[in-house]
Amino acid sequence: MKKNGKQIGLIVLASVIGLLFLIPLAWMISTSFKNDFEAIAGGLNWIPENFTFENYLYTLTGEGVDVPIFRWMFNSLFAGLTGTAIIVTIDALAAYGLARLDVPFKKFLFPMFISTLMIPFVITFLPMYMQFSNFGLLNTYAVLIFPYTANAFGVFLLYQFFRSFPKELEEAAKLDGANKWQIFIKIVIPSAKPIIWTLAIFSFMGIYNDFLWPLVATNSPDMRTITTGIAIMQQGSFTSSYGKLMALTTIATIPILIVFLIGQKQLIKGITQSGIK
Amino acid sequence: MKEAKLPASKAKRERLSKFTSFLFVLPYLLLFLAFLFIPLVYGIYISLHDYNLLSSVQPFIGFENYATIFNPDSAMNSLFFDGLGNTLKFVIFSVPLLVSIGLGLALLLNSLPGKLRTFFRTIYFIPYAISVSVVSIIFLWILDTNSGLLNMYLMDLGFDAIPWLTKQPFAWISLVGATIWWTLGFNMIIFINALNEVSEELYEAGAIDGASAWQKFIHITLPTIRPIMLFVIITSTIASFNVFGQPYLMTRGGPGDSTEVLLMGIVNLAFEERELGVASAMALLMSLIMIVISVIQFKIANRKQGGES
Repeated sequence: MKKNGKQIGLIVLASVIGLLFLIPLAWMISTSFKNDFEAIAGGLNWIPENFTFENYLYTLTGEGVDVPIFRWMFNSLFAGLTGTAIIVTIDALAAYGLARLDVPFKKFLFPMFISTLMIPFVITFLPMYMQFSNFGLLNTYAVLIFPYTANAFGVFLLYQFFRSFPKELEEAAKLDGANKWQIFIKIVIPSAKPIIWTLAIFSFMGIYNDFLWPLVATNSPDMRTITTGIAIMQQGSFTSSYGKLMALTTIATIPILIVFLIGQKQLIKGITQSGIK
Repeated sequence: MKEAKLPASKAKRERLSKFTSFLFVLPYLLLFLAFLFIPLVYGIYISLHDYNLLSSVQPFIGFENYATIFNPDSAMNSLFFDGLGNTLKFVIFSVPLLVSIGLGLALLLNSLPGKLRTFFRTIYFIPYAISVSVVSIIFLWILDTNSGLLNMYLMDLGFDAIPWLTKQPFAWISLVGATIWWTLGFNMIIFINALNEVSEELYEAGAIDGASAWQKFIHITLPTIRPIMLFVIITSTIASFNVFGQPYLMTRGGPGDSTEVLLMGIVNLAFEERELGVASAMALLMSLIMIVISVIQFKIANRKQGGES
């Protein structure tokens, strides 16, 4: 009896905390279906009195204001997917090379890569801005993709996995006459799939959600990402149109939420595997 | 193809093998050099020059940018140290909560039955997926003095409306609160993993000795998860040190300059005033401070551990 009571108490507590986590998102969605007047007039009606799609129509069609929201969405998705593909490819290659192959200077290269995990982004973002500016590459996709690819996190994550990968499989393939490349593609990569997915989800979320770098490195309306775009709208023409702002944030949140909910289990497994223990 | 099989060319084969192995590392190495190593060196170079983007020449001035920052009479001095002070305040307000509540939620989830545990874990983790601009805009709306949800409920209960974003200490409370809502889930997940590693036998032994839940937590759980605790403290400190989006969007540095954190000052100096030289020097100093703090945290945690065992 006593144990049951305690259990119920804990479930109630967990539910109340759960509500605290969900309320902001629920209020965002609720407000996005209210007209500006009803939103500003306040009130605690969770179900809008005058349920309307006008905020979505307004922001999606760009009626009246110039909000290239589809373009921003495309930019974010394109940068996120391309960046993730590059990161996963080059990190897997480098990590495998360093963990298993006779790469020259690897005693020097690996510590050099890993030591940069300590280096905060603050150090590099101003000179990187100047680099892109010198080559006239601000406001291009290069600026939205390449800066993320140098991060050593993925190399570190995969290196640890490849270190513990059983040698026997590789050696059997070697006896069959397979070269390094074939072993890597046919044996190593398939077995590393879960950890590679983890890296992919982390990378995609990181690029899609980044704020500071795309904010300073882009200024043409067409090259904004969705996260910087809505921030600019908030500081500009949408300042107190909370209905429209909430429609924008809802639209911006949907793709990343889908990726997150699908990849959540993998993400959690990855955190466990990444040596954080 | 045929030469490669001759035994005489063993050295040659080894060289070839090293070369093909090197090709695995090459793509990452190139991007690493271009977008980490060169910016690092270039950043130091810029910080040693009078690098104003609006002027046509950027002369070498040695450590003068650094000297200006440490000269108490210069505007750069107050910009840097006031900003640093505000950043440190945010770190001090947020990190203990991010760590302790993260651990608290992990303990709570661990005491729930399996299915509910997964369900609530997902809910608590969701905000982590959202970008800082969306988080900031949602909280701007909820914390709005006149029509925000929070004040509506407070007034419903008979309280006065609170200026959440325009008066201290409410502005800090709001920034820290939004940050906790946003990032807590990550720390929680890490703690859940750590708690699963604590051996059941230790708990059972503790139970036989008649230890209370609290004693078990202090003497069994905490010592076991100490390395993870250190990891969470260090990563949370670094993340809080880098705070930018929340004050930039929610309070815009206000009220007054009270939430104008260092990174905001640096961005402003570089992109509004176009003073890249001093801004780079500040960025380097800020990074140095972050690295030093991490190392100190690491040292303290390790010493304590050594002292006890």
